[in-house]
Amino acid sequence: MKKLKNILLSPRTNLAAFIMVVVLILCATIGAASAAMYIFETYNSRVQMFDIGVSLLENGERVSWRDYGSVDDGKWDANIPGVLLSNMIPKGEQLALGKTYQEELNVRNSGSINQYVRVSVYKYWVDPDKFAKDPDNAKLLDLDSSYIDLHLTNLDSAWIIDTNASTSERTVLYYNRLLNSGDETPLFADKVTISSACRKEKAAYNGAQFRIEVHVDAVQENNAEAAILSAWGRNVVVDEETGTLNLR
Amino acid sequence: MKKKSIFLFVLSIALIFATSINSALAYFTTYAEASGGYTLHLGGGYVITGGGQDIKEEFSDWTKRVTITNDPDGQPVFVRARAFSGSEYSLSYAGDDWTAGEDGYWYYDRILNGGENTTELRVRIEDIPADVDIGDHFNVVVIYETTPVAYDENGNPYADWNSTLEGE
Repeated sequence: MKKLKNILLSPRTNLAAFIMVVVLILCATIGAASAAMYIFETYNSRVQMFDIGVSLLENGERVSWRDYGSVDDGKWDANIPGVLLSNMIPKGEQLALGKTYQEELNVRNSGSINQYVRVSVYKYWVDPDKFAKDPDNAKLLDLDSSYIDLHLTNLDSAWIIDTNASTSERTVLYYNRLLNSGDETPLFADKVTISSACRKEKAAYNGAQFRIEVHVDAVQENNAEAAILSAWGRNVVVDEETGTLNLR
Repeated sequence: MKKKSIFLFVLSIALIFATSINSALAYFTTYAEASGGYTLHLGGGYVITGGGQDIKEEFSDWTKRVTITNDPDGQPVFVRARAFSGSEYSLSYAGDDWTAGEDGYWYYDRILNGGENTTELRVRIEDIPADVDIGDHFNVVVIYETTPVAYDENGNPYADWNSTLEGE
């Protein structure tokens, strides 16, 4: 027993144990890198990087995107924030209450790796003068966001509403499949109507500005459940064979 | 020697923790975002012109010319108008883009957007007696109504005259 104790406490044993720890850590790191492709702004890797990118499309046109480059130099091509609704009303016309305007929204994988996608849609009213100066404190909370009718589509067949994360102002949608590089999702919205009920409350709505805001998030395919939990804080179940995603 | 052992032990633990932190943060993610909106202009102060000085100028021709103007920030509307006079005289109407309705109103054929004017609606007093004296009254009152443009399920505009804004 005393002999064993001496062996364990000997400097050579300690040094050997330390070297073993270092070797084990290196092995673990290499293993994880091959299992899950990492990216982090301050991450410095010597393995080849794969670029992830995602784009929001409005009526077929890219309006916002963030595509990382294939070189690990921390650079990316981005247009954030993009502008929505700029061509909603034909030239020479004004916004008409009760009229339905085309507003087709979907997502494209503009990177080189497959990914999972979620979308958050926000609808709210603002005071346009305050919004120009201080967008974060311009909301008109008394006005009804349901009067901004952005019609969601392909629900259940392609998009799942996260009812736990959704409110009257925000709707969170998960694309229920893996989005391959270069592919586009089906539409998650197709038209928008501002309710003519605003006319009956003219004093409140005259001069108010409606806003629609869309956030798109994408995360890597590999180790998706852990990646989604880490990045978005949401427990999901991913079918390994089909790639289908369901909320837990 | 004992201190050296403790140092190596602590260093080993620190390395293990550092590795764990790195893997927790290092997933490929990206995002995009966009927003937009429009301001509602629900102005309803529609202005009717053609009264006052214009009537006097046109009276020699026994005709009242009416033009309706939408406020610059007014919402798109449909317009209709009609005139009333004493029972002794009848009225006739004429005007491009104006169509007679069965209810006595004349309907402007186009949507009147904010800042736009209708074309003239000419209201003529007929059956004027030959012996008109100075001081005789030919009182013609024109009223108009506008209604915001409504849309059906297919996006086609229509007028809901149960919801009107009146002017005189």
